[in-house]
Amino acid sequence: MNSTEPGDGRVGGTVDLGPPRPTLTEAITIKLRTPAKLRNLELLLLVFAIGITGAAVVLVQLGAIGEIDTTVLIYGAGLGMLALGMHVVLRITAPDADPFILPIVVTLNGLGVAMIYRLDLAEGLEGWESAGIRQMVWTAIAMAIALAVLLVVRNHRVLARYRYVAMLVGIGLLLLPMLPGIGQTINGARLWIQLGPFSFQPGEIGKIALAVFFAGYLVTARESLSMVGRSFLGMRFPRGKDLGPILIVWLAAMAVLVFQRDLGTSLLYFGLFLVMIYVATSRLSWVLLGLGLFVSGALIASQTLSYVNARFAAWLGAFDPENYDAIGGSYQLVQGLFGLANGGLIGTGLGQGRPNIVPLAESDFIIASLGEELGLVGLFAILGLYLLFVARGFRIGFNGTDDFGRLLAVGLAFVIALQVFVVIGGVTRVIPLTGLTTPFLAAGGSSLVANWIIAALLLRLSDTVRHQPRLVVTDDE
Amino acid sequence: MSELTLLLLRIGFLILMWSFVFAIVYALRSDLFGTKVRRLPVAASAAAPVAVAAPVAPVTVAGSGPARRLVITSGAKEGLELPLEGDQLTIGRSADSGLVIRDDYTSTHHARLMLWDGTWMIQDLDSTNGTLLSGKKVGAPTAVPLNTPVSIGTTTFELRR
Repeated sequence: MNSTEPGDGRVGGTVDLGPPRPTLTEAITIKLRTPAKLRNLELLLLVFAIGITGAAVVLVQLGAIGEIDTTVLIYGAGLGMLALGMHVVLRITAPDADPFILPIVVTLNGLGVAMIYRLDLAEGLEGWESAGIRQMVWTAIAMAIALAVLLVVRNHRVLARYRYVAMLVGIGLLLLPMLPGIGQTINGARLWIQLGPFSFQPGEIGKIALAVFFAGYLVTARESLSMVGRSFLGMRFPRGKDLGPILIVWLAAMAVLVFQRDLGTSLLYFGLFLVMIYVATSRLSWVLLGLGLFVSGALIASQTLSYVNARFAAWLGAFDPENYDAIGGSYQLVQGLFGLANGGLIGTGLGQGRPNIVPLAESDFIIASLGEELGLVGLFAILGLYLLFVARGFRIGFNGTDDFGRLLAVGLAFVIALQVFVVIGGVTRVIPLTGLTTPFLAAGGSSLVANWIIAALLLRLSDTVRHQPRLVVTDDE
Repeated sequence: MSELTLLLLRIGFLILMWSFVFAIVYALRSDLFGTKVRRLPVAASAAAPVAVAAPVAPVTVAGSGPARRLVITSGAKEGLELPLEGDQLTIGRSADSGLVIRDDYTSTHHARLMLWDGTWMIQDLDSTNGTLLSGKKVGAPTAVPLNTPVSIGTTTFELRR
């Protein structure tokens, strides 16, 4: 092939070959980078996102107190400054990161802050008493930690090296609330630790550590988990001795269910493992096996554990007066449903509904509050934002250059998706109500910090994906 | 503040939220819906790989290990090469791909090269015009021997050590 060098023609000077073309022997590597384009798109969407937050706070004030005061500046401008700061750091440290993640997260966070502020107005809380101010402070802390993650983790492959450390950290954080002294039981679930004036839910951070561990472990173990086994009913089932990991994770999830008394967290950890093992091995039999294990475990728990039994009863017979009047019964769930029904299609308008009737309207039931005041149309816009966020996470995983990064991106995106499903499914009575938080929206520091770290890791992963050597072949030259 | 103004403001806010959602979807349109791909003329798809395949006999080069570079042997950027790092390279029209081929016949996410146990495998990602490995359409992931032409759209490349 190299015998006809285009150079031969040029030396003779008689044959016109047009513009000189690179020869086969010439090694040209083009590293194409378009950082400014991506970041400018992000800036544009970010201005939009801050505008939505500001508009939400203004509407809350108009609806609830009939006038606009300076609090708008604390919430709207405060969040705006934080988001723009994050954007500037991204320009420097991760110029090729995905441009949609930050605007989506800022919008969700801002809508959450506006709704929490609205509930503060209804309760008459001010200053440090108000959950809205505390949520803003937590947002600032969460963004600072997300920035630290972006600055420290310059290459996600480093995380794969620390997979067993991640496992120990994950299990340690999970067990921390069981320690006497700092462990604390709130609303029946033992998920919190109390350090001085702060209470924190270490399991929220634990889920990230476990996602890192699962990704690191499955990259090395997936061959044996996917290749061998016997066929049954058209599917290849794993060997008995390969069942170890899934049984250990199942036992851990059941332990959370029994000792920490929390159905949602247990479902989250186990669901995360199932999805990651499915993505790593592409064997549907793992999913069937896992679902079978979890459903049977949950059914046994619903018969034997009184709190799970009560949750199931409140879910199936929410409108029974017996469940409605019971302590810890379906009162909250039913009030949330009434709120959603009151909102109807386009909602009562921000600041004009009565979402504060529902207990825990600012944390567990923030979706019911938003649904009441923004209606079905607004709720679907929020679900659309979650959908886009998760789709970006899966896309980052799909385009990843190494197995660990791909599994980690899918796992982290799925954690968000599963939380949204479990919380909104619980509030709308699709599944039994559990104690997970709505990512980015709900009041609560630990969940905000954990989910911002997930966003930071996805930004870092997307930056590495686009930073790979690339070659662009265009036709139109 | 009259009832009517508040009603208009609240409808306006819902429109604002949805326009944000649609602004993102619009920016992502090629990623979500793909770009329009033309069918490759039958004659071209049949003739191109044969012409390239004829002079090339699969040469076994001394030494071991997987291919380390990808060389474009025909098409708009003939002669360019790309080092193969990592264990996967995505090929397609989307800007996220490792090898971006922008012609009318390449799908958004067209194919990918994967390193499995020291061998590069090519997998077609359900593209409109398919991926040809020495003239044959690729279905399931197939091993790519060294110096064997792979055609995507109007571009042909080979893997070399």
